[in-house]
Amino acid sequence: MRFGGLTCVDKVSTTVEDNELVGMIGPNGAGKTTVFNMITGVYDPSDGDILFNNESIVPYKPFEVSEKGISRTFQNIRLFKSLSVKDNVRVSFIKNIKSKYFSSVLQLPKFYKEEKEIDKKIDELLEMFDLLHEKDEYAVSLPYGDQRKLEIVRALATSPRLLLLDEPAAGMNPTEKVDLMNLIKKIKDLFHISILLIEHDMKVVMGVCERIFVLEYGKKIAEGKPEEIRNDEKVILAYLGDTHHA
Amino acid sequence: MQVKSKLLFLSSIAVIFVINLFSGSIDPYFYTVIIYIGINIILATSLNLINGYTGQFSLGHAGFMAIGGYLSIALSTYFAPFFQSTFGTGAFGNAITFIIVLLAGGTAAALVGLLVGVPSLRLKGDYLAITTLGFAEIIRVVIQNMDVIGASQGFRGVYIYANGVKSPQMVQDLVDMPTVFYAVPQFTNFFWTFLFVAIIIYYVSNLINSTYGRGFLSVKDDEIAAESMGINTTKFKVSAFVTGAFFAGIAGVLYGHFNLYLNPEDFNFLKSVEIVVMVILGGMGSMIGVIIAAVLLTILPEFLRSVSEYRMIIYALLLIIMMLTRPQGLFGFKVKLKKKK
Repeated sequence: MRFGGLTCVDKVSTTVEDNELVGMIGPNGAGKTTVFNMITGVYDPSDGDILFNNESIVPYKPFEVSEKGISRTFQNIRLFKSLSVKDNVRVSFIKNIKSKYFSSVLQLPKFYKEEKEIDKKIDELLEMFDLLHEKDEYAVSLPYGDQRKLEIVRALATSPRLLLLDEPAAGMNPTEKVDLMNLIKKIKDLFHISILLIEHDMKVVMGVCERIFVLEYGKKIAEGKPEEIRNDEKVILAYLGDTHHA
Repeated sequence: MQVKSKLLFLSSIAVIFVINLFSGSIDPYFYTVIIYIGINIILATSLNLINGYTGQFSLGHAGFMAIGGYLSIALSTYFAPFFQSTFGTGAFGNAITFIIVLLAGGTAAALVGLLVGVPSLRLKGDYLAITTLGFAEIIRVVIQNMDVIGASQGFRGVYIYANGVKSPQMVQDLVDMPTVFYAVPQFTNFFWTFLFVAIIIYYVSNLINSTYGRGFLSVKDDEIAAESMGINTTKFKVSAFVTGAFFAGIAGVLYGHFNLYLNPEDFNFLKSVEIVVMVILGGMGSMIGVIIAAVLLTILPEFLRSVSEYRMIIYALLLIIMMLTRPQGLFGFKVKLKKKK
């Protein structure tokens, strides 16, 4: 991926297997979010290819990528501010509903049935994440941690096969982080999906991810199991600097 | 709850029908104001779908109104013999004729809305506003130069056959020698106007409150997030635009068949701004607020007639005061943040 003459992400190649939890780490500005934006179609990569279920998803627009089964959260929370908690999740169901424009206007019987089903699904999801008691609040009036959780719920409601989490634990305190990581593990098994997550906090990533790869200046410098990464010289160098000059 | 809204809709139509029976006894001046209120509610509510709910700043609503108005009066005028021979001139025949004309005007405006919307809705904010403004001006200038619909003299739903040539004429010119004379009757009445007021309120609120309709609001709030959740934002923007254009076209038809005289100047930039003001004053994305603003802004200039030349100054002042005191609109809401614990 290049912006003008600046190469942001260069020759990063990796895979995420079915029902696998992979972590992507790297110092600030390493290009982690750019990788997410390329996968979800916000940016088109200048070169290279992204395959999902053996199909290239490069030419697709973001909403088409979502239809293919990739969903994401955002580093700086992007909830719908004029919608309630419930309706924030509701939006994710739109791509799969049968009652579209005209049956919504005419309110045909099948419309009511479908609305009820969606209501039920939303309640179930919110219940699972302990957000049900806040369902009628405006999304932006929630406490910070709940907003992060709501973003995950909203992404899950699109029934993805691959979930991309962009720093889900940013701004949380250590206990909240541990809770969140347990939750992410639970999501993976419960929904049987693959998760790729960006995180700065090494402890968090090491604790939860099955496999980790490390980006620095847009290049992949290491990949492997958490314990391998912990002892990788390049990674230590990237994070802690060169010991001789420190 | 859901059945209620249908019942409410049907009963309001019944009420409108009954009131219409007594409309003959209303003072003509008040009657005119009431009809204009209805037309403005339709315009403001339809623009609210585009500007308020979907967050796309359109400044060309008068253009769609002009298309509906002119096309329908042209149909009613030039196709009058056809309509009369097919449906007759009774109340029922007239009703069918008017429905056809209404749908034609609305559809034409919607098609133009599609044509304008697809390329221009890639633009955002100010750019979209300028594009739509430019479009409305093009419509007006084109109309101003089309002789078949009266050009800059204005269009009266009247034609004559003289020497075998059918042409629209000013009524004064007709006194001498019309071989055939026909004037479009005043089809628009209380019933038709408020029928469409009821329809658009029912239509837009059903749409917005459905799961599908929540997509419009998500586009307004955050396009990138909406796209990532599988929302085809372009499709939503265009469908809001086309729906808004359709109802603006309907409003144009009602306006044309009430006044029976259309002038390109009725659809100038100021008319578009007037509708935008209604939406902003009412509170972007607030159905009730926009309706009340439409009523207020129609009545206000009438009340101010007593101060004649200061009228527009006071009108503008009131707008400024209202905006200063309630920047979010009369009924707009601000999300109140909970106090942090």
